[in-house]
Amino acid sequence: MASRKRTLLKIIILGDSGVGKTSLMNQYVNKKFSTQYKATIGADFLTKEVQVDDKLVTMQIWDTAGQERFQSLGVAFYRGADCCVLVYDVNVAKSFENLTNWRDEFLIQASPSDPENFPFMVLGNKIDIDGGNSRVVSEKKAKNWCVSKGDIPYFETSAKEDRNVEVAFQRIAKDALKNQKDEEIYLPDTIDLSSSSTQSSSSCSC
Amino acid sequence: MRESDPSDKELNSENNDLQTENPGSQDVSFAYQQTFDAKQADDGPCSLPSHLSEKELDNNGSSTCDNGVNIESADAQREATGLTTFEFPVPEEGPQTYVKKVKSELEGASDGNQTEYNSDGIEEPDPGDTNANAEHRECSPRVANAQFNSQDKSDPKGNEILEQRDTVVNRSLTAFSSTCNIEPVESSIIRVQSAVENGNMEGHRPYADSEGKIASLSAVDGVAASSNGRESFEEIEVVDSGLVKNGGLLKRDLFLEKQHQSEDDSSESWRKHKKHFFILSHAGKPIYSRYGDEHKLAGFAATLQAIMSFVENGGDRINYVRSGDHQVVFLVKGPVYLVSISSTNEPLRVLRRQLDLLHGQLLLILTRSLEKCFVKNANFDLRPLLGGTENVFSSLIHSFSWNFASFLSSYTCLPLSHTARQAAGAALQDIADKNLLFALLLSDSKVISLVGAQKASLHPDDIFLLSNFVSSSESFRNTESFSPICLPKYNSMTFLYAYIRYLDPDICLILITKNSDAFFHLKDCRARIEGFLMETHVLRDISNSVARGGLRVEELPGGDVSYTSAPRSRRMGDTKDSTITVKLKAGVGGTAGLWHFIYRCVYLDQYVASEFSSPLETPQAKKRLFRAYQSLYASIHGAPTGAHQMQYRRDGNFVLLAWSTSDFEFLAAFDPLAEKSSSITVCNRVCQWVRDMENDLFFIGGSPFNW
Repeated sequence: MASRKRTLLKIIILGDSGVGKTSLMNQYVNKKFSTQYKATIGADFLTKEVQVDDKLVTMQIWDTAGQERFQSLGVAFYRGADCCVLVYDVNVAKSFENLTNWRDEFLIQASPSDPENFPFMVLGNKIDIDGGNSRVVSEKKAKNWCVSKGDIPYFETSAKEDRNVEVAFQRIAKDALKNQKDEEIYLPDTIDLSSSSTQSSSSCSC
Repeated sequence: MRESDPSDKELNSENNDLQTENPGSQDVSFAYQQTFDAKQADDGPCSLPSHLSEKELDNNGSSTCDNGVNIESADAQREATGLTTFEFPVPEEGPQTYVKKVKSELEGASDGNQTEYNSDGIEEPDPGDTNANAEHRECSPRVANAQFNSQDKSDPKGNEILEQRDTVVNRSLTAFSSTCNIEPVESSIIRVQSAVENGNMEGHRPYADSEGKIASLSAVDGVAASSNGRESFEEIEVVDSGLVKNGGLLKRDLFLEKQHQSEDDSSESWRKHKKHFFILSHAGKPIYSRYGDEHKLAGFAATLQAIMSFVENGGDRINYVRSGDHQVVFLVKGPVYLVSISSTNEPLRVLRRQLDLLHGQLLLILTRSLEKCFVKNANFDLRPLLGGTENVFSSLIHSFSWNFASFLSSYTCLPLSHTARQAAGAALQDIADKNLLFALLLSDSKVISLVGAQKASLHPDDIFLLSNFVSSSESFRNTESFSPICLPKYNSMTFLYAYIRYLDPDICLILITKNSDAFFHLKDCRARIEGFLMETHVLRDISNSVARGGLRVEELPGGDVSYTSAPRSRRMGDTKDSTITVKLKAGVGGTAGLWHFIYRCVYLDQYVASEFSSPLETPQAKKRLFRAYQSLYASIHGAPTGAHQMQYRRDGNFVLLAWSTSDFEFLAAFDPLAEKSSSITVCNRVCQWVRDMENDLFFIGGSPFNW
């Protein structure tokens, strides 16, 4: 079975609407960029296979909708994520401030087994706009926030100009992979034959 | 209503006459139904009471046989109206043109795509899901932007109509559009982009933007499928060359399915498969897909999970979605989600049972402890634990199209003389000790003998899944093996250990213990059993029986029942003197046009089926009959309006007869030209014969359920 050693990673992309989540994903997976804004409804799903060191990894990328009204979908979407990517627009202060909410919300809804060490990633997108002159969130400010939240890796990206996108996602895969639990030995219960309760119902209900 | 005396279960041809006097008698209502093959039991329990379908067919201008009519007039009427298609297998002209007309109407008016989404609706009440029972939902993703709109609709009348629509084509057209008035409640919730835009719902056709027409169209499609058999032919091309040998799964088939490994949801060929099965985790990670590479289908799995989890979060549960020809059936088993997408027109309860068995197979390999892994880590990836088991799943899915155990929930025995079977049982009993839980002697999926420890009983489904697991794993064939397995109906939480050894290519011995270190002990046991069977020549008897094959309808007794293709006036009871007895040549079925039968003994949980013989030799014919039996069986069990304990159906392919009592269930297929009276006589004889041969056909000595 050739596929046995392959790993599947579930990656959730979160952030305010319009920060460029879908564009980043499209740039990464399809190498395409469109200036036209198309709001994501619910979630989009894309997959991409990458090589991380000697491992073949399939990234199952969940591109979620940024609008408030989709927040109720959280549990359904976040469950079992291997990495959460938080995206903001360096030109919109509010989108940066909301990162805290997005992160908290994710941790509540996904309730990962080890929240302290759950791999996050922050991407400051749209650094290309106006040659960087319209940016309102400085790199330093963003990095400080990342450090305060447990040293979250930070990248500045431009989905439009394909800057840092590949690198960022490669890092995402690597971090998520690192966080994968060492496989434990699969050991189901043992059976005590002397007790009569081991028998489940054998009557046929058809 | 049913005669309660089991000894008096004679299926009487004179029921026809009796019924004239007693038209309300429910259990003996016969219906000539032209459109049996595909659709009428599609929603599981929605097969109409026979009397109703007769009425409707009458309304539709198709002729039917009146309930209380006697043989003469039945024949006369048949001739007069041309109900029976004497030009077999040429499909009826009427329904088809009608279908074309409706289709073109609908397609002409269409601008969108419609999916019917039923959150529980008409399916039989599912224990533990009472809150969703009464609720019926409709959902309609429109193809343009592919949004998944969920609309609440509590319209009991709609349910009623849904149940009937398959047979009542004409009526549902008007009735449905008048009763269903659906307003979107929420909009744009889940983007089912990969499901619709990427074309996974391959059956999407442009439909008219009216719920009524959609429902009717699916009914019409069913008629189309049944009248020309097109559906089954296409499917057979893809999967089913393996029906050549009833029991043996050919490696070639598995190889065929392997070929599809390179596909994903964007490939045309992947979308064309008639029946998909998926297992995924509640995080949306793919675990198994029948076709295509699981990793490449990660996006598709995510879509399925998003839909299921979304409904789940609302405190509800999604049961199935219908979209044109396609049924998407969902089953949630804790953290494991199972989905089938099919265009095979199988009844819903059959599809759900298949998902259940698929889950059982997963448990057989891993036990329910796998759920703990998901509790610990929701992102747990189950795939590595299932390494090397694709064949087990693909052979299980394959058996859903040929193994009657898949829908009968019973096992079948290798025909064997009573003494030989007793000797085999004694050999197994001989080694029974506290270490041993079960000992089974199998020939493929047929039981030769089995022994269970005190109080322990083996469920037929466990036998089915275990025999599939063993027979689909090549590595068991040539070596003696000791493998952890779980018998999900016995105890789904723990591993047991199975010692597996083929005594010859057709005979497999399985010894099941709770001790993980019992290998050498069981190896000794095997040697003792093998020696004993050899000495007593039982092994030879078994091999002979395997070589001889199963029951053949041509060899059944009762050749004095006449069978002529020309309808003739005849009354029950004078078969011997007034008609010419036609001895049939081998190759055209058995007495009176009997082609095939299944007899299920209820209290033994065992069944016996005849071999597929001419003219049921082509894979198409076999699969058609298999599916017809499935629907028939579902209809004698799951009908919400009460079980139809006796059914007689005729279409262009065959006459089907079902008879259900508290002791046994009997399904039979006849030549479409067979006469009702003689087929009923033959059924009585076959049932009697099976009962006479009980000792050879069934495993009776120690019914595992009477310990």
